[in-house]
Amino acid sequence: MASQIAQAPQTLTVTRLIDQPRVDRYAEAARDPNPIHRETPEAYAGPFGQPVAHGMLVLGLVADALTQGFGLTWAETGTLKVRWRSPALTPVTVIARADLRKDADGLATYEVTCTDEGGEVLLTGTASVRYR
Amino acid sequence: MTHSLQFADLVKGQAFARFPLTVSAAEVQAYLDSTGESPEVWAEHVPPIFIDAIAIAMLLSTVAIPKGVMHTGQEHESHRAARIDEPMELEMRVSALSERRGAVIAAFEANLTDAGGAPITTMKISVMVLPDGVTA
Repeated sequence: MASQIAQAPQTLTVTRLIDQPRVDRYAEAARDPNPIHRETPEAYAGPFGQPVAHGMLVLGLVADALTQGFGLTWAETGTLKVRWRSPALTPVTVIARADLRKDADGLATYEVTCTDEGGEVLLTGTASVRYR
Repeated sequence: MTHSLQFADLVKGQAFARFPLTVSAAEVQAYLDSTGESPEVWAEHVPPIFIDAIAIAMLLSTVAIPKGVMHTGQEHESHRAARIDEPMELEMRVSALSERRGAVIAAFEANLTDAGGAPITTMKISVMVLPDGVTA
């Protein structure tokens, strides 16, 4: 589907607090029962010693940034390829960023990252959107 | 939760699940409320990453994932946007399975198709299961 976007944005960013209430709501909405994300004994006995936000909740900020840049076109033509680098221990302010690396023939390719407020890298990868 | 498959029973190339799937407007709204995303774009369509999250939930409900598992990577390709209340089908298979220094690395490919069999979304979910007693 042709979009109304004339030029791919250079940079897209979303910053959002991920706290335990948000993680709890996400666990319900995303049907994820894993106790390591909740205030549970399993979380405190687990590999991170406390609850950790869902990786997909962190990735959702990247998707939100792409939505803000491309609207529904992102959902129609987008790709993502990411790896998680560090756990997002709640509460954490996550900064998602997409930087344009290539824009050719209507295909915009971005380097994407999520970091916490201290600069720790939580997620890295690439994204693309065919916008015309 | 009762699982139909144990992680140790998985075989590379195995197609192990096929689910019907529809996503309601209320489910999309609950997802957006939880993530903090604006609902503006999603009045008629499902956010792509929500579909990936649902696929992961279906994986967790089908395969007994051992303790120590980490979701290490995610790949997503949209062929078109999924519509709210649209009848769809999700098929999952084991696309990679290997062991390295006691850690098991697995990848699950999920294909979401519409009622006519046309692709909507393709994704790959990568996980690593650490050996017993090892933490990240």
